[in-house]
Amino acid sequence: MTPEGTCNSMSSESDTEAQGELITRPDLFPRNVLAIGDAAPRADAYEKATGQTKFAADYYAEDMVWAGVKRAGIPHARVAKIDTSQAEGIPGVMCVLTHRDVSGTNRQGVIRRDQPVLVDDKIRHCGDAVALVVAETRDALRKALDRITLDCPLLTPVLDAEEALEESAALVHEDNPNGNVLLKGELQTGSGDAAEQECEILVEGCFETQRQEHAYLETEAGWAQVKDDGRLEIVCSTQTPFRDRMEVADALGLEPTRVRIVVPYVGGAFGGKDGITVQSLLGLAALKSGGRPVKMWWGREESFSAGAKRHPARMYYRLGSDRSGRLHYLNVRLYLDTGPYDHLGGVVMTLGLEHAGGPYRIPNAVLKAWCVYTNNPLSGAFRGFGVTQVTAAMEQMMDLLAAKLGMDPLELRFKNAVRQGDRNCVGKTLVSSTGLTKCLEALSRMSTGKERDAWKAAAPFFKRRGVGFAALMHASGYGPVVPDFANAKVELTVRGKIRIYSGVVDMGQGNAATNVQIAAAILGQTADMFELIQPDTDRTLASGSASASRCTYTFGNALIGAAEILKNRLVQRAADLMMARKEDIALIPGGIRNLGSGRVISFSQLADFLNEDERVAVHYFRAPVAPDEIGAAPDLKLHGLPHTLFSYGAHAAWIEVDELTGELEVKKYLAVSDCGNILNPQIYEQQIQGAIAQGLGYAVSEDLLVEGGKVLNPDFFTYLIPTSADVPEIVSVPVKMYEITGPFGLKGVGEIATNGPLPALANALADACGIRIFRSPLTPERVLDALNTRNREDLE
Amino acid sequence: MKISCTLNGTRIELSVPADRRVVDLLREDLGLTGTKESCGAGDCGACTILVDGESRLSCLMLAAQLEGREITTVEGLAESESVHVVQRAFAEQGAVQCGFCTPGMLLAATDLLHRNPRPSRGQIREALTGNLCRCTGYQKIVDAVDKAARLVSGDES
Amino acid sequence: MSDVHLPRHLKDVWPLLLNDPRAAVYAGGTDLLAKVRSADARPRSLVCLERVEELKGVRDDGEEVYIGAGTALEHVLHNPIIEKQFPVLVQAIRVLASPAVRHMGTIGGNIVTASPAGDTLPPLHVLDADVVVRSAKETRRASLASFIRGPGKVDLGSGEILAAVVVKKTAGFNIHHYEKVGKRKAQACAVASMAAIVDVSEDRVIRRARFAWGSVGPTVIVVPEVERAVLGRTLSMETLREAACIAESAVSPIDDLRASASYRRRLAGALLLRLCALQANNPSQEH
Repeated sequence: MTPEGTCNSMSSESDTEAQGELITRPDLFPRNVLAIGDAAPRADAYEKATGQTKFAADYYAEDMVWAGVKRAGIPHARVAKIDTSQAEGIPGVMCVLTHRDVSGTNRQGVIRRDQPVLVDDKIRHCGDAVALVVAETRDALRKALDRITLDCPLLTPVLDAEEALEESAALVHEDNPNGNVLLKGELQTGSGDAAEQECEILVEGCFETQRQEHAYLETEAGWAQVKDDGRLEIVCSTQTPFRDRMEVADALGLEPTRVRIVVPYVGGAFGGKDGITVQSLLGLAALKSGGRPVKMWWGREESFSAGAKRHPARMYYRLGSDRSGRLHYLNVRLYLDTGPYDHLGGVVMTLGLEHAGGPYRIPNAVLKAWCVYTNNPLSGAFRGFGVTQVTAAMEQMMDLLAAKLGMDPLELRFKNAVRQGDRNCVGKTLVSSTGLTKCLEALSRMSTGKERDAWKAAAPFFKRRGVGFAALMHASGYGPVVPDFANAKVELTVRGKIRIYSGVVDMGQGNAATNVQIAAAILGQTADMFELIQPDTDRTLASGSASASRCTYTFGNALIGAAEILKNRLVQRAADLMMARKEDIALIPGGIRNLGSGRVISFSQLADFLNEDERVAVHYFRAPVAPDEIGAAPDLKLHGLPHTLFSYGAHAAWIEVDELTGELEVKKYLAVSDCGNILNPQIYEQQIQGAIAQGLGYAVSEDLLVEGGKVLNPDFFTYLIPTSADVPEIVSVPVKMYEITGPFGLKGVGEIATNGPLPALANALADACGIRIFRSPLTPERVLDALNTRNREDLE
Repeated sequence: MKISCTLNGTRIELSVPADRRVVDLLREDLGLTGTKESCGAGDCGACTILVDGESRLSCLMLAAQLEGREITTVEGLAESESVHVVQRAFAEQGAVQCGFCTPGMLLAATDLLHRNPRPSRGQIREALTGNLCRCTGYQKIVDAVDKAARLVSGDES
Repeated sequence: MSDVHLPRHLKDVWPLLLNDPRAAVYAGGTDLLAKVRSADARPRSLVCLERVEELKGVRDDGEEVYIGAGTALEHVLHNPIIEKQFPVLVQAIRVLASPAVRHMGTIGGNIVTASPAGDTLPPLHVLDADVVVRSAKETRRASLASFIRGPGKVDLGSGEILAAVVVKKTAGFNIHHYEKVGKRKAQACAVASMAAIVDVSEDRVIRRARFAWGSVGPTVIVVPEVERAVLGRTLSMETLREAACIAESAVSPIDDLRASASYRRRLAGALLLRLCALQANNPSQEH
């Protein structure tokens, strides 16, 4: 790279051939053929470690212009006057756009299209996009944004989910059929509430969990350009390029075929880029920039204020059992504050509802959930997706019940843990691999008994020690109605490499690398033989979102098919070329050997012999769904109830609590998981460790504070994610399981571990100090308050 | 303003506004997008570079401050064709997931190993607290820095 | 666009300040440039002191140690004189931000920023530090306590810069302790902090003690009554509980995003109790 003022050119079309999607530094990869189960370094590791990877935020060009959004700054108002005149006069400003400049529906959304590109009727949250500025420089952009003023009559904001349900509450969407309810879910099993009086022991609790920020290191970013042929090309950081394309086209009034979305490696997403962020805004700006490329890159504060968050939840639980601890009855009311727009809120609620009773047999359940519109910041997809919230509640209820029964908390879980063939608390029969009891057994072996007691007793001065547990279950996929499918395409290139067209975005979870490993194992190749094309609506095939713990399961199954087809074809055509029998032909690294004659030809030689269509193999896979009729209403089914494939886990946290300050330190964390067979132990551990770190932040330090609809701590100085000093050494133990429907026996691993830390820590706190805090995060102040209250009670 | 400095081993002359942020100069003017920006306020470490061998945050440095300095970005960590031992350790130990924090993390790790060639795991964690990562949970990053330290010090080959 | 000046010598600083009295002066930039994020809001003229050698370095002057205000925090941290003489300052700098920030940020900057939560401030207070302020015409010395007037406010006039902080050696103190309570384990603004140096006899009798609290008032809080209350008494929970009550009444914390005033008040007292867990001459044993 010469330092003499050169800029990168932005290129996204046919010169991708030259762009080098070959794996970087193949000479540094192991020489052997990649096998399933190898802890092989990831295919993208060197590219990223040498700073070569271009994220969406990394593109610049000579004639590039910048786009930026004027955010409302008020939670609820009617749109009257948006004064852009001053902004337009700033030197360097190309245009200032409002809803009048949007030709399409001006509405985005996955289930319910209720989110405008630029507000037209109302402002519904502080982060709402009011106007879009396109300018030559970032300085001009900033100045212009400052000069846009709003004269919009304020409306009473709705700021609490339960209050939003009252008759007198203001309406966020006047055209919503059910007041401020985006979605209500109800499900009943067994004899419902009648079972309550049959219980010999009953416990209840109300749990509140907070808003959590994704805090990906790469904020929302991208660039767009209308090409000479009139097509709109958008390169951006997103989890859902194919779905985005349809939403952008609809919102802006374009033919979908006119829109292309390309996704480079994404710098973290965790659900926060599951849906529209910059896409339509970039598209709109590009339509008005006279053919010049337009870039948008949200600042950190903007990402905090305008992006989606984890739903804050209020959860009312009643759990009953017989005297022996056999669970008999569960009643749950779940309220999720979804903010101003649909944005997958209903799907989060439904998954939460499905998991509300945890991985246990509970014959009588009454489950109700409300996903409620408010004028608070937008809530949406976030790793864990509703299950994180209910797990926090249910796993604490189990400990509360165990305490009342005088029973060991793990024993209570063993007694009620689901096994394959059981029905879970929504009445779904568990037909796929169900390794919960194996997880609990391993956990129990590693964390109970004398060693634990000795460790607790050795607590230093002013410290108290405790150990807490959580049992986990997490579904993957989209449920019985929305198709969970993928299309994999592989190609033998003219240069003799194997090119994989990845349909699912790699946002750090390593599925691009896993794709290489799967294809390599089937085709008998080394890592240096592969090229990767990242998702591109022109070049790769629709394969669903990078979400719902389904990326590798679904795309992997499609890829296995495609790789097998390619393999058979290469073998057959090599046999034709060499005038041999198919049975004599074997694939070896880089080519073909005729095992009979010993003759070898390279892949590039074989490619010369083949027509383009012959060099390509495509395979489609659609994940199986649950046929169970559990009495779920059609809209709940649409939103995902029930799923059919579940991963399981059991976590233990060893904590030390400081009695003087209330600070909580996790000394050790153990995660035992059933995620099926493991394709790459290193990638598997990456997911478990990373998810636990996010869960730990959720448990103790992360809290997005909102007052009057406004985010109070929109930066990394006041919103605290875990640093390297905050995460303990994590011991990750996979139990040996094999999911027969999964690619090489695999199940989803992406989300489940996020759900363990909060309940494990809350339970450990109770074990250490006899206190329970029903609100998260478990901040030092809350812990000290609880300790002091308990000490006072002890004295009384 | 005219500024002379050494960038990744090469002497360069720049003509830039004195108050241009170094992170912008690197990424936009020089095309070195390996250095990232994630917060712009000094809280995350993604923009870490080495200045005269010491780690600094390029989002909080102005171009004028580069005069006469030796700057190392992730692009210059390795010499010629090889990869730096820390980069190799990161790749092999699984310390790279989305990769956005990686350049800053590598430079912070390199700075640590200059100051303390055989740090304990605890010291590694302490030294990296200024570099936020949202994907890895840090454990494999610590593994990688530990491994690199062992390789460099000859405890392991 | 702003002018950025990079003077090499102190004598070159004065004309710059004279020329533009509103010039923003910074050394590391970690406070100033973080506050001033957009080019719009940047002052017209910036004077960066990072190259001025006269402002750097640690010098042992016999009874006291002279620390140049422009000395990077990381260099103060690892300086052998500081390590030997002022463990309480070392402990505080160790938990201040991160290595990169400490390579840039200076001890002078931490003082002049005068945040109620500034980590070097409680230790410098218990070490009875003075500041050296210079201008073109004169050099003056003042106590650190008088130099810091309020949050973000120091006694620097036009044309003046902070040149050094001078710390008196503390022979005979055998407990040196700094503790900061944050909402995570690192890179966290102090919710409450306390620096303490204590001279205890072999049978745990307190001969001398100095305490200073951070983040529980607009500036560092020193409570002479607490020090008087513990003198001559055994270092025990009983003694410290009484002292804690006095401390809790004396501090004046506020409610903010990070914590409530009442929590901070409780911490001010609780942090004193920690001293019971420490052994003399092994200040880092507990925390």
